Amino acid sequence: MKKQAGMFLVLVAVCVIAALLSPAFLGVGNLENLTRRIGLFGIIGIGVAFVIVTGGIDLSIGSVVCLTGCGLPWLLVQLGLPPWLALPVLLGVSAVVGLWHGWLVAVVKLQPFVVTLCGLLVYRGLMRGVTQSQSQGFGSGFQDLRWWSTGKLPPEAGAVGCALATLLLAWMAWRARKSGRSPLPASAAAVLAALIGGAIMQAGFQVPMPCVILIVLATLTAAFFHLTVWGRHLLALGSNEKAARFSGIATTRLTLLAYVACALLAGIAGMLFVMEVGSAQPSDFGNFYELYAIAAAVIGGCSLRGGRISVVGVVLGAALMQVLRNVMVLAFPSQQQLELAVIGVVILLGVLADAGMRRLPARK
Amino acid sequence: MKPSLACWIAPLTALALLGACSKPAESGKKSYAFLTNGVASFWDIAKAGAEQAGQDLGVEVSVLMPDGVVQQNQMIEDLVIRQADGIAISPIDAENQVDAIDRAAAATHLITADSDAPKTKRLLYLGMDNYEAGRMCGKLVKEALPDGGKVMIFIGRLEQDNARGRRQGVIDELLGRSMDPTRFDPPDAVLSGNGYEILGTLTDQFDRLRGKQNVDDTLSAHPDLGCAVGLFVFNPPLILESLRAAGKLGQVKVVGFDEAEETLAGIAAGHVHGTVVQNPFEYGRRSIEVLHAIASGDRSVIPENGFINIPAREIRKDNVAEFQADLRAKLGR
Repeated sequence: MKKQAGMFLVLVAVCVIAALLSPAFLGVGNLENLTRRIGLFGIIGIGVAFVIVTGGIDLSIGSVVCLTGCGLPWLLVQLGLPPWLALPVLLGVSAVVGLWHGWLVAVVKLQPFVVTLCGLLVYRGLMRGVTQSQSQGFGSGFQDLRWWSTGKLPPEAGAVGCALATLLLAWMAWRARKSGRSPLPASAAAVLAALIGGAIMQAGFQVPMPCVILIVLATLTAAFFHLTVWGRHLLALGSNEKAARFSGIATTRLTLLAYVACALLAGIAGMLFVMEVGSAQPSDFGNFYELYAIAAAVIGGCSLRGGRISVVGVVLGAALMQVLRNVMVLAFPSQQQLELAVIGVVILLGVLADAGMRRLPARK
Repeated sequence: MKPSLACWIAPLTALALLGACSKPAESGKKSYAFLTNGVASFWDIAKAGAEQAGQDLGVEVSVLMPDGVVQQNQMIEDLVIRQADGIAISPIDAENQVDAIDRAAAATHLITADSDAPKTKRLLYLGMDNYEAGRMCGKLVKEALPDGGKVMIFIGRLEQDNARGRRQGVIDELLGRSMDPTRFDPPDAVLSGNGYEILGTLTDQFDRLRGKQNVDDTLSAHPDLGCAVGLFVFNPPLILESLRAAGKLGQVKVVGFDEAEETLAGIAAGHVHGTVVQNPFEYGRRSIEVLHAIASGDRSVIPENGFINIPAREIRKDNVAEFQADLRAKLGR
């Protein structure tokens, strides 16, 4: 919890600096753009967190994004499939990809790095072959379908969502108090949610759909890890696979589940990415996105050794990267080439600060 | 004892020789290659042109689309090994590919198309003058914004010779400077003059999401943006996507480059003021024709100044329908 609080403060600090550097940063339009991007990149971050929790890694996310991102317009426009068929087909393909990775890792006992590295090459190559490396786009059609990525909900919906979140967090604070834990984090989050709700109404902020989808997926993921037995088992598996297996946990099935969840979320994100941009080029669509996802998860407090996850942290990690990118263009468009370096340095500073903070109590 | 290095080298050399001797062209047909600078719809049109020439001349033509400069260099090497009779290439990073291109130029007939590499030993450059085309594009911006205003330039990358020339042409035309293709304003300078303020040049390195985000962020930072200029084929469609989402279609002027379907549709709909089109079909067709002539011993096709000009054209609302029809016919769609 301390880790997320630290990361939250870093994010707030970066936002304050951003607002000072460029008055446009706090504009409603810019914040809507930002939350849309955080939604899109947050989804792949949560996906890879499932795999990182097991102590594994998924390097094929960018290629799965390419697979569904180019696959969607290809199926809809080139093959003329209706959306109600194309979407389940691509979700099915993503799930099969995940199942395949999981089987190779859990049953055949190959290393996740190798398995998903091959996936990275195979899926993009496949898509380039299938589409003859032609750019795939929606043209001016499918605006209804693209609403899932380009659409926004009215401020009222956002305010209602925040009110519900406030209630939920207040209840969590009450429960924490009852069971003798500190109610402070949950209460602080509840106040924050209420404030955000007020701000949304005040500014007329419309909530982008990818952000809504991320919130839903993040809530489901958090509930899975904290409220279900399977989630607990997955964490136990990540901490010590052998011990988990000897205590009767179905480790194979859980590993399969983790890889399927990761590939599915990457598949969903791929479709949302292409709905947002309108067209996709198989040779570069989603290139390197696995690294953005892994970075978000690691900044957010997932250990690459497995056994630890924080869904809120992953979302904060994704947010931090997108805010940095945004600020570079808003405030220093002329220094855009330095962007990756700035992101890398800020992430490293955040991780260093976190490591330092964790050592402090140990020294006492 | 482990097998020595020689044990490995001998069979490998034999294999390589075997591969070199078995030319891809069966029955002694000449074979040519057209090497693009990336994957884009622009190159599909060039491909159609190159293949057309291949059919007409009865020669083999392969069009290769690399993924970046590393792969492009590898492809050049592979083509030399394959003993292609001629290579046309659009170099990605002309300044730094001199060695790679010169090695190929020594082994076979090599020309540059679309983007030049003036410091290499290429036989000729076939394409348009990008600086002049950029100035054409700048004129379109002036037409769209006669009273001046803020202009932002969006481009895939700035390393390419053609990208630099094109961008500089736009800038020089807007600022009313003299013709000087050798000028280069660094991308980190805000330039103003003549009532125009050029805010900068944003690159996306061919990541489309990035390209759209660049436009989104520019609209946030400069609500009073007058004109967005998209200089690579995919930039104008991304500008249109962003403007549509922001509800600013028609409000912010758009001037494009190349002939993406969305750009042409945008011109027809009045959302794009105009675009400057090259003639990729002719790049492909003429490259193969010229290479075939040279390989057959006719060097008279190489002009004195080493430049075969395939001029650019301006497409506005009045001639867009005609241009679209012609393009569809060429692509056989």
